[in-house]
Amino acid sequence: MARRYDSRTTIFSPEGRLYQVEYAMEAISHAGTVIGILSKDGIVLAAERQATSNLLEQSIGSEKIYEMNDNVVAGVAGLTADANILINQSRIIAQRYLQKYDSPIPVEQLVRRLCDMKQGYTQFGGLRPFGVSFLCAGWDSAFGFQLYQSDPAGNYSSWKAACIGENFSNAQSILKQEYKDDDSEGSSSTAGTQMTMDDALKLTCLVLSKTIDTAKLTSEKLEFATITLKNNKPHIHIYTSDEIDQVLTKYDSVIKPSNND
Amino acid sequence: MDSITLRLPHTVERPAEATNYEPTTRISQPTVTGTSVVAFKYKDGIMMATDCLASYGSMARFRDETRMTAVGKTTLLGMSGDTADFQHMKHTLNNLLTQEYDMDDGQNLGTRSIYKYISNIMYGRRTKIDPLWNSYVIGGIDNGEKVLGFVDYYGTTYQSPTIATGFGAHLAQPILRKYVEGHEDEITEEDAIRILDDCMRVLYYRDCRTFNKLRRAKVTAAGVEISEPYALETNWNIAEYVRGYGPF
Repeated sequence: MARRYDSRTTIFSPEGRLYQVEYAMEAISHAGTVIGILSKDGIVLAAERQATSNLLEQSIGSEKIYEMNDNVVAGVAGLTADANILINQSRIIAQRYLQKYDSPIPVEQLVRRLCDMKQGYTQFGGLRPFGVSFLCAGWDSAFGFQLYQSDPAGNYSSWKAACIGENFSNAQSILKQEYKDDDSEGSSSTAGTQMTMDDALKLTCLVLSKTIDTAKLTSEKLEFATITLKNNKPHIHIYTSDEIDQVLTKYDSVIKPSNND
Repeated sequence: MDSITLRLPHTVERPAEATNYEPTTRISQPTVTGTSVVAFKYKDGIMMATDCLASYGSMARFRDETRMTAVGKTTLLGMSGDTADFQHMKHTLNNLLTQEYDMDDGQNLGTRSIYKYISNIMYGRRTKIDPLWNSYVIGGIDNGEKVLGFVDYYGTTYQSPTIATGFGAHLAQPILRKYVEGHEDEITEEDAIRILDDCMRVLYYRDCRTFNKLRRAKVTAAGVEISEPYALETNWNIAEYVRGYGPF
């Protein structure tokens, strides 16, 4: 029955659904997982690479994690080709803002512009939506560290911890359990969380180990990035394979199928 | 806020026509003008002064003009040059601030952003050979740091602890450089007022397009404040000794 309303994105189904948008999200749920965790000192982004092969030259280029600006780094899940278009657009948006206002673009504004673009493809043009979800991790002087998730519909929201891609619901429930939320009232405008970077990295490894299918977590299958503050300026660090190995070794205890479950 | 141009298929939207750039067929000249702006950094922020005159050529036409304006809560803009172009700039900046207000996202445009925005407009206009005939001084406090910059109708920009436009660049700047440069963080408000008044006094003596009624403005962490007009004490005694002065 739904088939009649599939062919164009601009059409609602009788139940009030946009099937093309939903199908896009379905495509994303088969893509490599991306996890983002907010701590009071920064944000961790980790992603599972799906295209792995001995022949792949992994050290050059990214598949999942991209810098959008000096103060924003994003992880993508979904159709890589679609993601590349959106990443290029967001980089142009960020640079235009810098050229106009001599100031790094506020994170939410970058996410909003990107989402407005994605929304456009669900309303007019008769083109299919972008089959990409983003986890944007950024810092600006007004709100500090922020983590945004956006989907093909053009929705976005701010999270303390989020997950997109394969097994995301599984990961989301683990995050919900394990994330140390801030109970106190007097939090400043920046993220009200008690998590430290160390906690965030540890939790990332834990969630990765539980949601990724492979027997063993290796740096070959993963991409890692953090955004922190250095000299009061945002600093993005995309980890090398060796650095990922170090992280995995450091938090080995949470990764190993535990004997003390 | 510039929109992303979605290149939709031709069935949906016709392609934009190529813009024609024709040669300018009008001259640009200022009509009602303001003279110097003097500004410098001091301990609490920025201090700026302009007189209250807008001249119509050599006529002292409008004698209650304010050639400074607050832009948002943290930035002060002073102008010399054409008044109409200044009013246009004020309207443009107001529209920008309204857009930012509408976005309602808790973000504010700092002094550096306003400075860049104005600079881009000025350079863009000069490139079209249709300048806004002004020199602007933009001052404010951005993220705790004092910012003081200059833009003129060429789009030339520079930042400095002391800035003066017009005649001020010749007569007031040496005074500012002597008393301010190097001591920006030590000058108190009283001292700053004294330095400013000395500069404005010299300008009143020597610039023919001034008037002894001026305003002072300051930007501090508390915000932008533009004073009421006041006059300077002057001494014209030596005028008698100038040959050719008076009827004798």
